Amino acid sequence: MFIEIENLQKSYFNGSVETKVLKGLDMSLDKSEIGVILGPSGSGKSTLMNIIGGIDRADEGSVIVDGVNITRLGDAKLTDYRREELGFIFQFYNLVPNLTVGENIEVVSNISREPLGTDEVLRAVGIADKKHRFPRELSGGEQQRVSIARAIVKNPKLLLCDEVTGALDYTTSKEILKLIQQINKVYDTTILIITHNTAISAMANRVYRLRQGCIASQKINEEILPAERIEW
Amino acid sequence: MILHKKIKREILENKSPYIGSLVLIMISCMLYIMLNMLAVSMQESVNAFETDYIQEDASFVTAAPLANTAQLEEDYNILLEQGASFDYDITDSKTLRVFRSNEKINLPAITEGSMPRAGQVLVDPAFAKANGYEIGDNLRIKDKVYEISGFFSLPNYIYLIKSQSDLLSDANSFGIAMLGASDFNIYESSAKTSYSVKFNSGEESLQVQAAAFRDAIAEQGNMVTQWTDTANNNRVTIVEAKMEGVGQVSTVLPITILLLTCVLSGIVILRMIKQDSAIIGTLYAQGYRKREIINHYMRYPLVIALLGGIIGTILGLLTLKPMTTFMLSYFNIPISKSVIVPVYIFVSLALPFVLLGLSGLFILIRELRYSPVSLIRGDRKTGKVNFIERKAKLDKFKFKTKFKLREQFRSPSRLIFLLFGIILATMLLLLGFTAKSSMDYLMGENITGTMLFKYEYIYNTVHLEEPPAGAEIFSAGEFYTPGHSDIPFTVSGIEPDTKMLAFKDKSGDALDTNKVIITQPLAEKLEIKEGDSIELIDKITSKTYTLTVDKIADAYIGETIFMPIEEFNSLIGYPAGSHIGLWSAQKLDIDEKYLYAVSSVEDTIANFEASMQPLQSALGIIGLLAFIIGLVVIHVVTSLIIEENRSTISLMKVFGYRKREVNSLILNSSWVVVVLGYVLGIPLVLNLMDAAFKSMTQSIDIAFPIVINYVYVIAGFAIVYLTYELSKALSKRKLNRISMSEAIKAGRD
Repeated sequence: MFIEIENLQKSYFNGSVETKVLKGLDMSLDKSEIGVILGPSGSGKSTLMNIIGGIDRADEGSVIVDGVNITRLGDAKLTDYRREELGFIFQFYNLVPNLTVGENIEVVSNISREPLGTDEVLRAVGIADKKHRFPRELSGGEQQRVSIARAIVKNPKLLLCDEVTGALDYTTSKEILKLIQQINKVYDTTILIITHNTAISAMANRVYRLRQGCIASQKINEEILPAERIEW
Repeated sequence: MILHKKIKREILENKSPYIGSLVLIMISCMLYIMLNMLAVSMQESVNAFETDYIQEDASFVTAAPLANTAQLEEDYNILLEQGASFDYDITDSKTLRVFRSNEKINLPAITEGSMPRAGQVLVDPAFAKANGYEIGDNLRIKDKVYEISGFFSLPNYIYLIKSQSDLLSDANSFGIAMLGASDFNIYESSAKTSYSVKFNSGEESLQVQAAAFRDAIAEQGNMVTQWTDTANNNRVTIVEAKMEGVGQVSTVLPITILLLTCVLSGIVILRMIKQDSAIIGTLYAQGYRKREIINHYMRYPLVIALLGGIIGTILGLLTLKPMTTFMLSYFNIPISKSVIVPVYIFVSLALPFVLLGLSGLFILIRELRYSPVSLIRGDRKTGKVNFIERKAKLDKFKFKTKFKLREQFRSPSRLIFLLFGIILATMLLLLGFTAKSSMDYLMGENITGTMLFKYEYIYNTVHLEEPPAGAEIFSAGEFYTPGHSDIPFTVSGIEPDTKMLAFKDKSGDALDTNKVIITQPLAEKLEIKEGDSIELIDKITSKTYTLTVDKIADAYIGETIFMPIEEFNSLIGYPAGSHIGLWSAQKLDIDEKYLYAVSSVEDTIANFEASMQPLQSALGIIGLLAFIIGLVVIHVVTSLIIEENRSTISLMKVFGYRKREVNSLILNSSWVVVVLGYVLGIPLVLNLMDAAFKSMTQSIDIAFPIVINYVYVIAGFAIVYLTYELSKALSKRKLNRISMSEAIKAGRD
């Protein structure tokens, strides 16, 4: 398994009040698969993604990504893990407003060992002509494409997508999902999508449904739909 | 308004820019109050001293004693008194000038103790302090011991310099003392005498009265051999020049700092409005009026302006008294008046209020013209790209360079604030270094390279005899050009192929000393070029002569024209071989009573070096001020950059940037501006000092080459850059505190 999570537990303290967010969660994902984590607000899906993404720490349990238990990594190693292995795509794109599209991609390629070319990834996401534009001059869909290009420029082993269609309209959302599926195929990237849109689970190999910090159900899709056929 | 509760919380949450503004306002108000009131206090103290203790209008030496002085006083409505003094060398490098107590002019002001009775002496307080003398102590003068009865000041010796050409006073090597007439009698035979005159007719100018009086002396068959107007007496005029210097910086410096603060406060308000745009839009939606919103946001700059103004003004008032006492004791002025001028207090409180208020209001009105919907949506909050950012072609640069450049282009006001602040800090810092460099240059290669003699002896009157072996004769007279009686200068006759002087022109080529040579500062003041003819008016006889200047010498040894002595004597009508003084490489044995003045180049340089010590501490304080301003400006800008880039920093951490990589991108983005500000500051400070010094020294016979040694340029840069590094180190913690979750949450709130 590329990702293997066992007995993952995480609590937050607000003063003396403890809130258990993850209560002994188990899940796994094979290499080159697309996984979808579904769940309502407060189910713990963002916390799970933060821990897999190496930006938060677990209290208990193990998270093994490509053979490395990241819960045991120190700060420096965890930074290396994010730097080398991961790509992030956010709901609100998180582009640097005062850098051009090309420069936003360079933010990541600048620290990558063997990055893909900026022009190549821009072509891959279909906005090669927007390289010198600033984010403000682009539509929401185009900004999300930049965000995807930025995530894949380092050719990551794992791509984490946090509500990638949450801020987009129906048509644009479908285009973005199609692009993600395409990246999975072209670059052989393992992808984990966190969403509350259940329809997206149709394009995943594995689907986990979270409720109150636990896996409520899990499913392996026998028949994966292409993104353009997904409806909601 | 309940909204005002936010003010304190916002200021406490974002301390750096507010504290930075507060410190800058405090510094500017403190300087404004202290310097302006210091100038007034010093002027009033000096005026009171000069009037109450009857300062002479001129001093002079005649070829023979004056006859019928009482009649002259009556005829010309003047006060006239013959003074006497002699120099007593306590050690080789320490001289005490002992005066006979006057009764009519240049009266001694007792600052402590009492007038000397028989067997007692007065000394100046600076000399007493520097040499550990107290009232009641014994002081040996020649073979006799006197008891110190008190400390005193003289109105014609406000600035205690041994020779008129000295620049800085040094109590360790020169002081003055005074004996009663009966005690002084035993030294009478070896004492130098000179007359002091005070003109009492207020209707005619001093020049006219002095000319008429000199004519009367000539009618007696006598001759004035030396004449010094108080307006040209460096022992008085240096004080005026220094007060003028205080006056010059007292307004310019504080207002410059205040303008810097206005830019800073404008940036802070602009940033706050952009951050609060959703809140402002919501308040509009709830029915708030624009006036009420402005009322709230205007409180931020106004609270800071008021607080900074009050604290700065109080600090200024508290430092006024010690500063006045320090300056007056430095100048030997016995009357200390700390003058409180209410209008300065009002301006000090009102100016930051008005300037910050206006800049704040301008920004608020401009930013609040958008609709509530636009404000709520935060259209203005992020992502706007300005003209420079859009037009900048940065493709060829590496990512790091592009990022740093864009960081600077992003906020032109922030860029201007930083550049302006660094230039100001550089100028303040280099002010001291330039002063020191210029003095070192003047006293070093310029003087020792020009004046090859070691001793200068000036006689009381013209001599004709052959000089002692090894010595050279010279003649000299005081002149001015038509319409420039305020710029007196010396014309000096020197021996052919002199071995005592060497001149170079600007390009460093040696000049022929058998030509007519003018020194650079005098050529500048009189606006003379090589080959020009100038008309000279003899200051004492008012006779007119014409002279053609052959060369200009790059020498700062006073405002002088040098020419062959025989040409000079024949021009003035003196017999061949006449001379007023001697230059020598060895000490000569000449009876002091024939001498008007003796000076040693080595002593002058040694005195200068000793007297640079107290100046260095003053320059240190200015340097510290520069450091504080630099630190505040850089720290505030760095804090603003961090605040503006919070989400980018967080994002970089998520992407796996290491701490030092984030630090390098965010904190190092200003280094180009810091270097540029420093480089621009150098010519500005040199030009400013040149202009300031020329205007300050117009009335005194001192000229100054403004130069800066490259060592100081490097040292100054090191200080500015270390300030930058310190500010970066202080900001690192702030940068490290930004969490990765900020990027994850971005856009959700």
